Amino acid sequence: MTPETLPETLPELAIDLTPTLIVSTALATRDFTPVHHDPAIARAQGSKDIFLNILTTMGLVERFVTDWAGPRAVIERVDVRLGVPAYAGDRLTFGGTVTSRAGGRVTVRVHGRVSLGDHATGTVTLKEDGRC
Amino acid sequence: MTDPLHELADKQAALGEVRGAPAPDPVNAPMIRHWLAAMGDANPVYLEQGVAPPAMAQVWTMDAPRDRSPVDDVLAALDDAGYTGVVATDCGQTYHRYARLGERLTPATRFTDLAGPKRTALGVGFFATWNVTWYDEDHRPVAEMLFRVLKFRPPEVGKPYPLQPAVNQDTAFFWEGAKQGELRIQRCADCGALRHPPGPMCPACRSTARTHAVATGRGTLHSFVVHHHPPVPGRELPFVVGVVELPEGVRIVGNVVDCPIEKVEVGMPLRVTFRPMDDRLVLPLWTPEEA
Amino acid sequence: MLSGRAAIGGIGATEFSKESGRSELRLAAEAVLAALDDAGLSPADVDGMVTYSQDTNQEIAVARETGVGDLTFFSRVEYGGGAACGTVAHAAMAVATGLARTVVCYRAFNERSGRRFGQPNAGLSGEPTSQGLEMSWHVPYGLITPAAWVAMFARRYMHVYGATSEDFGRVAVTMRRHAATNPAAWFHGRPITLEEHQASRWIAEPLHLLDCCQESDGAVALVVTSAERARDLRRPPALITAAAQGSGAGQMMMTSYYRDDMTGLPEMSVVARQLWEMSGLSPSDVQAAILYDHFTPFVLTQLEELGFCGRGEAPGFVRDGGIALDGALPVNPHGGQLGEAYIHGMNGIAEAVRQLRGDAANQLAGVTNVLVTAGTGVPTSGLILSSG
Repeated sequence: MTPETLPETLPELAIDLTPTLIVSTALATRDFTPVHHDPAIARAQGSKDIFLNILTTMGLVERFVTDWAGPRAVIERVDVRLGVPAYAGDRLTFGGTVTSRAGGRVTVRVHGRVSLGDHATGTVTLKEDGRC
Repeated sequence: MTDPLHELADKQAALGEVRGAPAPDPVNAPMIRHWLAAMGDANPVYLEQGVAPPAMAQVWTMDAPRDRSPVDDVLAALDDAGYTGVVATDCGQTYHRYARLGERLTPATRFTDLAGPKRTALGVGFFATWNVTWYDEDHRPVAEMLFRVLKFRPPEVGKPYPLQPAVNQDTAFFWEGAKQGELRIQRCADCGALRHPPGPMCPACRSTARTHAVATGRGTLHSFVVHHHPPVPGRELPFVVGVVELPEGVRIVGNVVDCPIEKVEVGMPLRVTFRPMDDRLVLPLWTPEEA
Repeated sequence: MLSGRAAIGGIGATEFSKESGRSELRLAAEAVLAALDDAGLSPADVDGMVTYSQDTNQEIAVARETGVGDLTFFSRVEYGGGAACGTVAHAAMAVATGLARTVVCYRAFNERSGRRFGQPNAGLSGEPTSQGLEMSWHVPYGLITPAAWVAMFARRYMHVYGATSEDFGRVAVTMRRHAATNPAAWFHGRPITLEEHQASRWIAEPLHLLDCCQESDGAVALVVTSAERARDLRRPPALITAAAQGSGAGQMMMTSYYRDDMTGLPEMSVVARQLWEMSGLSPSDVQAAILYDHFTPFVLTQLEELGFCGRGEAPGFVRDGGIALDGALPVNPHGGQLGEAYIHGMNGIAEAVRQLRGDAANQLAGVTNVLVTAGTGVPTSGLILSSG
């Protein structure tokens, strides 16, 4: 797909938030906070279950956009407003739309929703064909 | 501002950027491979070109020995003042370039701002903002991050929310739906008429066969009040209650949250959000729909 | 037909205060005796009693205290302050049909020193009765006080018709001006300015403190008997030319937010239609109106629903002095509930009787017909009383 023909709406990405995903991403981001891997501690602290850590949210936003933009895209900036927690057992669905495209630079508006509402909303800026 | 919290915040901000310890390991392929596998990220560019996914910036320094950063004192003071709850609200990252295999990053933290006290849906709290920059061995920035958390005074733990609805067999589906993150509207199983608030018999065709539709979760503010007085159990003053008109053709009452009160206006687009009030009650509330 | 068959032959009240220092039953008994004395009747003459379903004093208890013997008619009227004129309607029906000969209507409470209606009550949604379930769509969100319930309608009215807080304020200012020259009023000698209204604190935006009526302790009673008999009593009768109750489609208690239009009071329109039909009168035939004024915005809405002005025109009507003592339609010459006292609308009916008798504190000239309304935002009621 060439940059000129990129669609304005990004294909949806739905991720089942299995305990495996929550725990393995927490560890891959070197985040050993118990609420991301120990359900008993998470519940004792008032959460419904273990939930996604922020580093992973940022990583998944990045993945969602580069899945669409392709390997030549270079991410320059990710701004995320964090909302409701993404608990184990839920499903995180990303959607996005291109809001500007100029000089090889694309801005994408992104939202990641779970059953409780918006987990993450924000913008990602990338160069369509850049050098990382 | 002359209160101790803002005084401390100003003092910490005046420290400027404080360098932490360098990453214990250089940027390396095994940790990148582990990250990509966990994220389900199939982008080949990183391992092919020997660079790290940019969102990994912080990962490289997660295991570094931690000196006390200018942020820690502010967060500790907030804890001591009773603002023990914490929730991250914003994370913004700027990547000057992708980090390369073999280089070792060093973080530096700068406390930026303390705003509050403010009333939020979670309780009264302060927004604390700081910036972290990761430098390469030539002291050039590779990535920067703005991070903001809300430190809030949590509602008394385990205390039941005092404003419970009465529920019976005609209305239970609505409250069950809220627990599952669904805004349910009663639908007549015979004539299809939608109705809120619900009831046992369809006023249009008198059928008692009922089902429900799940609303899109969008709405428009039809009217609202800002409640100032008297105090209401379980609520921080002031708060906003609105009548929301749904595109499905019914209206529903709910609080407008996560919006400065002066920005609330008749006609504003809204989106539903679900908030647990205690162990047994989840209320559908409304936030501004982003344009 | 009910028109002209019955009359109010006596009125009585306690003092209006913030702390009566007496039980609610004692207040009821005192007001009933005062009303009978006003009519020149004795407790032995009473055979019927009507009050609000919210009143804490049962008819039999009031009868025991006042030495009333056998009762052949007793009735309670539902829906808060919407019951006020309904008590007279029920009494008139009983008299007209021969169920009773002399019916006393009463309302007694310590609404300031005892249970205050303006305070949140989580119990409103406590039980799965039809009303508890109805409240359950509102109470969990903290929408729990009468001021806030009314404010929701008021905001929509402002949005649709461009009305302002000052438009509500002019109602309060007028009521307080009337009360200032009524010695029985709590706010006797204490008028307010529009600036004071605007500067008063928020209760539930868009309502300021001075948009909300006062809280009072006190009691009012009325004696209803046949028109014929009333003419032989001590005081001139106030004929019940029309009496009506009304609720509208999609009606709720204070929260009818789900009907197409949130800017009106359809239930008051139901009452108005009956009052004009039953009386054969039109708005130009009444010389004064007693409009229920627990909160200022609904005074505007009532002017429109009753036909004294068109939709959205009430702010202009009030701005032009229309509801003042010398206006096109003097409203609440006693100062209403904003100025005199909050006795759940019952004190307004007594004022209508005084205007017809010619002995009110702020007596208007040439009063032959007075329209009275009851609580708004709820199923309500109304009267047209006439000099006999």
